[in-house]
Amino acid sequence: MTAPAATHSPAAAPAPTAALAGKFLVAGLVGLALTAAGFFLAHDSAGVALSYLVGISYWSAVVIGMLMLVLIHHIFDAGWSVVIRRQFEHGLAAFPWLFVLFLPLLASAWLKPGLIWPWMDLSHELHGGHTVGTDPLYLKKASFLNVKMFTAMTVGFFAVWIWLSARLRKASFTQDADGDKKWTFMSRKTAAFGIPLNALALTFAAIYWMKSLEYHWFSTMYGVWFFSNCIRAALAFGVVITVWLYQRGDYKGIYNTNQFHCLTALAFAFVVFWAYITFSQYFLIWNANVPEETFWYNIRESGDWWWIGMLLLFGHFFVPFLFWLVYRNKATRAPALKISLWIAAIILVDICYNVLPALKDHHGVPQPFFSVNLLWVLTSVVGIGGICGWAYLRSFARTKLIPIRDPRIVESLTYHEATAP
Amino acid sequence: MTMKKSYGLIAAFDSTPALFRACEQVRDAGYTRWDATTPFHVHGLDAAMGMRRSKVPRFSLAGGVAGFITGMSMIWFVDAFDYPLIVGGKPYFSPMFAFPVSYELTILFTAFATIGGMFLLNKLPMHYHPLMKAPQFVRAMDDRFYVVIEAADPKFHAAQTRALLAQAGGQDIAELEE
Amino acid sequence: MSSHIEPAGHPLLAEVNPVAIPRQELVHHGRDFHWITEKVCGIVEAKTPVWWWWCFGVAAFVASFTVAGLIYLVGTGVGVWGHANPVNWAWDIVNFVFWIGIGHAGTLISAILCLLRQKWRTSINRASEAMTIFAVVCAGIFPVFHVGRVWMAWYLFPIPNANYIWQNFRSPLEWDVFAVSTYGTVSVLFWYVGLLPDLGTMRDRFTAAGNLLKARLYGFFAMGWRGSNRHWANYEMAYLILAGVATPLVLSVHTIVSFDFAVSLIPGWHTTIFPPYFVAGAIFSGFGMVMTLMLPLRAIYRLEDLITQYHIDCMCKITLATGTMVGYAYAMEFFIAWYGANPYEGFAFINRAFGHYAWAYWIMITCNVITPQFFWSRRVRENTTLVWILSIFVNVGMWFERFVIIVTSLARDFLPSSWGYYSPSIVEIFTFFGTFGVFSVLFLLFIRFVPIMPMSEVKAVIPQADPHGTGH
Repeated sequence: MTAPAATHSPAAAPAPTAALAGKFLVAGLVGLALTAAGFFLAHDSAGVALSYLVGISYWSAVVIGMLMLVLIHHIFDAGWSVVIRRQFEHGLAAFPWLFVLFLPLLASAWLKPGLIWPWMDLSHELHGGHTVGTDPLYLKKASFLNVKMFTAMTVGFFAVWIWLSARLRKASFTQDADGDKKWTFMSRKTAAFGIPLNALALTFAAIYWMKSLEYHWFSTMYGVWFFSNCIRAALAFGVVITVWLYQRGDYKGIYNTNQFHCLTALAFAFVVFWAYITFSQYFLIWNANVPEETFWYNIRESGDWWWIGMLLLFGHFFVPFLFWLVYRNKATRAPALKISLWIAAIILVDICYNVLPALKDHHGVPQPFFSVNLLWVLTSVVGIGGICGWAYLRSFARTKLIPIRDPRIVESLTYHEATAP
Repeated sequence: MTMKKSYGLIAAFDSTPALFRACEQVRDAGYTRWDATTPFHVHGLDAAMGMRRSKVPRFSLAGGVAGFITGMSMIWFVDAFDYPLIVGGKPYFSPMFAFPVSYELTILFTAFATIGGMFLLNKLPMHYHPLMKAPQFVRAMDDRFYVVIEAADPKFHAAQTRALLAQAGGQDIAELEE
Repeated sequence: MSSHIEPAGHPLLAEVNPVAIPRQELVHHGRDFHWITEKVCGIVEAKTPVWWWWCFGVAAFVASFTVAGLIYLVGTGVGVWGHANPVNWAWDIVNFVFWIGIGHAGTLISAILCLLRQKWRTSINRASEAMTIFAVVCAGIFPVFHVGRVWMAWYLFPIPNANYIWQNFRSPLEWDVFAVSTYGTVSVLFWYVGLLPDLGTMRDRFTAAGNLLKARLYGFFAMGWRGSNRHWANYEMAYLILAGVATPLVLSVHTIVSFDFAVSLIPGWHTTIFPPYFVAGAIFSGFGMVMTLMLPLRAIYRLEDLITQYHIDCMCKITLATGTMVGYAYAMEFFIAWYGANPYEGFAFINRAFGHYAWAYWIMITCNVITPQFFWSRRVRENTTLVWILSIFVNVGMWFERFVIIVTSLARDFLPSSWGYYSPSIVEIFTFFGTFGVFSVLFLLFIRFVPIMPMSEVKAVIPQADPHGTGH
């Protein structure tokens, strides 16, 4: 092909993102500062700490989901997702910062054990009188649930995530420059072992960080539940990023309705998947009706938590499901953005539903959802999200907008396969 | 022998791009009662023919809703109303245990409605059609593409329509008997 | 495909210069539409080959075991099977889950790969869907006949009966009735809808060849299909919607089958991960069976241009992926059995590995966890004989998985006074092996009389079908 003729007027170069990155950083630092203030000054520091855990889990879910989607893209040798993959790769830049932001939680595990995870403090009193240290249900898994293992495993998770992200980013960014095939093959190999590795990492992260808060409870499905939320979060942010880039003008000539539709159709599929997983877990526990397992759900049906459960059923499943069913909502930016923002918010509610009821009073009744802890959830989400957004934007500024030398880039740019209802 | 009424004109095309371009031209010329015949579904041909999206999904949705309601109401009627039985301490009716069967019926009814709707909209079975009498039809189901413009179309004019098809690249243009 | 694209509004597009890693072609040697029609129709139109008669004879003979076994069962009573307290579910349910699981790959290939726009599915989807239907037939034999008084099996359906009693919808067995019936029905419908265009082709070819009887027979089922694009539009939409409902259907059917076990509280059965674990296992075993069937067919009918190494690669990789998911589920079950500290659950897992049925357990682990790992190697994937052998091991492993799950948990549950040991009776063994004959009879009839590949779909994915002339 001959060199392109200069007959078109090039699109106005979009504003650099440095200023925006700065805003995210400020928002992040402010959020973190407020959370810290809350922790040291507020009456119930356990509530603040738990809210901070919600924030970390939420943003980790988003970034883990992005990692999984990049890995899945490579293992499938997918065509449509090359454009959005670059944005997910930028999202992965948040992992090292998430680790740094997790350090306060690790610190609290060593300095004030039992503040967040009750099993860390052997003298923590359980409802019913005896302590963790004399609880056979703890002692049987003491080799797994101890602070050293927790720390080592958490470091391990982040090591896996940072390592996988680094490999994928390096391959993708270097290929922009040298157009070497080997980067594609390297990414495929990374995906082949990375997917099982990531699956195990996210499963055990969910078990350690969230499920062990109420360590009497267990569910083999928990890792899969967390995975479903991770993917949903990543897809929701994928839509948000796509629309943002289009509105800024970056994506003029790059954005393609059919490509976008693939993204939203995947989001639709995962609404169903999440509902399937969540329903299965609930239903099996409901049907067998064994008190060792049902108590976890019973707690979440007391007080206003029952309404939150209903909100999840309707807001995380029914509404998005019926909404995504309509082709127009999948293929048009404005409605897709609205529902994606909604889903991103509801995922936070889902994480709260899983984590916050661990805060109980003397009678074993959980603190209601509508309490002052929501404020700390908000500051944590803004704080950690600000840092993640800042990391994303810094990475964004450093590379090309799309992987210009990826073997499937033209397929992605000219994607014309949409025929769905 | 009486003259058989003419159903319309048929033109053959040997390649997918040729058919595609021809359809665009026929669409742009303003014909409404015409069709393309292909051995497989050609991507994007619906738009090239100026067709609107299929109405099959409406049938599917109706079927799905009917299935779900049937499932839930049947189970409520059977297990909570007509002959309530206490089983395993479970409630007489709960959307939890009623869900699997209702879900299956949703899918079953959606499938029936979809297929029924598709046949209805396509007016199938229709074992007789003037096109199927044409000797060249056997290749329509094999490897050749055809455009058929009906004589009943308001813009149909024997000579002009034939000229349009020829100019669009049609081969072996012939008349179809009714 | 050109390596540069015209910059149309974005300066970066001028720099786009993809490195060349071409997509695999789905049909080798640039075959055209007519070649595909001749190849596929030729199999149906040719005289029945001798090897077909031999296979049919053997299959029918083996199928007679099932017929004989069932007649003996109904005539004499359920006691002729090896079930006894405490193991009241054994080979019958294992076989049921085994066959239903096999069926799931067919729907995955037809429906899920359709939604994922994986064009390589087109040369194997019809045979896989046929496999699904026949597998459901074989599966259905067991729940129907294991009820004892088979003539009352219709009581499973909510139809008024003389006892004025309704069905118990709290029971997963009742859900199974609806799930399997729906699955069988929708699979047949989906398969049939996919057949319509090809039936039209066969009708016209028989008409042109002068064989009016066959033309009328195929024509009847073709419903007057004439390739009209206005029909194709509705057809494609219906097909997509059917794919869209068949996907949740296949997930739900094996989920409901898993509920048979998981909704109870028996150790080893009651785990929340059962639904997706069973579905992954079903797809794993189903792909094993697809390869077991398609590889010989490919060799016999010389279909290498249509079922290429790429197709085999994809099937092997899916087998590997789903096998890995099954492995993940094994790991989670084992871990949580320890984490949950329920002594019965812990015992159930130790017992599986070291108890009376340890031999079954280790066959399962070898076949399910180790065997698919061979598919990592390209050399293995390119050796069709080896792939075929491995695919058989996959199914052996999956049969043993269901056996291990069902029988070990029942043989050793809560109270030692209720423990027992089960072994199958000769009637059960013959009935089960006979179902392979039933399956083979049906499949042989399928390949003899029905086009084994959806010609219209295969044609649609070759470069010649691209209306823009650039090739997909």
